[in-house]
Amino acid sequence: MNQLRLILRWFVLIWIAVIAAGPFVWILVTALKGSEDIFAFPPALLPQDPGIRNFVEVFAIVPFGTYLLNSVLVSLASVVLNLLLASLAAYPLARMDFRGRRWVFLVILATMMVPEQVTMIPVFRLLLQMGLLDTLAGVVLPTCVSAFGVFLIRQHYRSIPRELDEAAVMDGCSVLGIWWRILVPLSAPALATLAVFTFVGTWSSFLWPLIVLQDPAHYTLPVGLNALLSAFSANYKYLAAGAVLTLIPVIAVLLFFQRYLVKGMLAGGVKG
Amino acid sequence: MKRTGALTAWLFLLPAAAVFLLFVIYPACEIFIISFRRHSFVGTGSWVGLDNYARLLTDGTFHAALLNSLLYLLVTPVVVTLALGLALLLEPQMRGIRFLRSLTFLPVVTPMIVVGIIWKWLLNEDAGLLNAALLGLGLSSAKVSWLSVYPLNIICVMAVTVWKGLGYYAVIFLAGLTAIPHELEEAAALDGAGPLQRLLYLKLPLLKPTIALCVIISSIAALKVFDEVYVIIGGSPAAEQPLVPLIFQSAFLDFRLGEAGAMSVVLFLCTLGFSYLQLRSWRES
Repeated sequence: MNQLRLILRWFVLIWIAVIAAGPFVWILVTALKGSEDIFAFPPALLPQDPGIRNFVEVFAIVPFGTYLLNSVLVSLASVVLNLLLASLAAYPLARMDFRGRRWVFLVILATMMVPEQVTMIPVFRLLLQMGLLDTLAGVVLPTCVSAFGVFLIRQHYRSIPRELDEAAVMDGCSVLGIWWRILVPLSAPALATLAVFTFVGTWSSFLWPLIVLQDPAHYTLPVGLNALLSAFSANYKYLAAGAVLTLIPVIAVLLFFQRYLVKGMLAGGVKG
Repeated sequence: MKRTGALTAWLFLLPAAAVFLLFVIYPACEIFIISFRRHSFVGTGSWVGLDNYARLLTDGTFHAALLNSLLYLLVTPVVVTLALGLALLLEPQMRGIRFLRSLTFLPVVTPMIVVGIIWKWLLNEDAGLLNAALLGLGLSSAKVSWLSVYPLNIICVMAVTVWKGLGYYAVIFLAGLTAIPHELEEAAALDGAGPLQRLLYLKLPLLKPTIALCVIISSIAALKVFDEVYVIIGGSPAAEQPLVPLIFQSAFLDFRLGEAGAMSVVLFLCTLGFSYLQLRSWRES
């Protein structure tokens, strides 16, 4: 009886694995297909002459290397700015006593209630006035700090013993010194969580870059793939190869930083 | 707490405060103003009062889109129920289960554009694997037009949303399940409660806040949905798509900013109730 239950359980779990991973396997198979017609029906389950030709050719038919570089730049800038601005803003909110502190914190939390989809028209107008349309800066700036980030880092600062600050003040440490020498180094886990979370979010970001970027030379990967999807949907092999390439950093994050990712998701209950 | 000058405090806050003010708070106010004006991207346009809203009242496409957004909310009960089931299956510490957890997490972190490309290919009417499988197994006698017939097309996109989000909500439920003390379950088991009874009378009541959180997050996400719709059925008429794709089209392709602004306000009001609840649960933690 127990044996039967175990077998049944594994049967269900294997189906879950197939449903979760199957679609990824299929896009990889498609990307590896060679000369054969991928629109043949029924499709061949295995490539006849598997090779990486599509991965090479996708760089030739669209400026895929440029998309990749832009995505890396946007993601790096976004991570650095989010960490910097959140860890700066969290300091007075966690440690200083000034008029309006509670109020400021509440307003920052309330910005969470404003979806990007609601503000996209005014923000577009603003970037137009600032001359930042069709630039990578225009992609990064509107989301270079988040209420979630400020909240996360503030909670972490509050868990650091205050005696450390006081001892540092005795030793003649400045206000800025306390932030840089004590709070920031001791917040490494929270900062790592925010970094991983921000990276995954920016790497996937689609709607805003789609609105801001016009020149294909400025496209990030998601926008570039979308252009490829509309222009070359007849040749899904390239699309599949591009999709697989876009996945590589995501899988790396999953392999090495899954712990931080899960921590961030549980801390925030926010979803991009 | 040490008294520090307010000036010092504000210096640290300044960069973040400027971004929030410029890119969230000011735009959140301006969208209301835009909705009362006949607008283009430059200049201020002219004041038209409630005209844009009145126009929405008689706009069939807007009604259809709003209806589709409401339909999209059906993602919530489906994804929350399935995620709870998945969490219960992945809860026991067995060999290989950690790997399986990571696997269910893969769709969660995959960019939506990639998810869209993958599923558009699987659901392709002429060459898709799904139609091949259905025909091969004799489950269907003809190829199914998954993505070209309404409402099947939007239901397919909803299914993709569920597939991508499942692992995320399962993680939240797993954390909730882990927080239930083992003694409670053992005591219930000793009292003769079977697995189903323990689920219904012990776990589910204790998971209530977690379920509420998942319902809130998923509902907000459903109302805001854009990426998967645009990538998978973006070519379909606007009346077959939810609200945000219509806002996108009205504002950035048709340049009807006033009406798009009014629609944005409607969307804002729809999400506000949910996000207020989320904010409250956030502050409690």
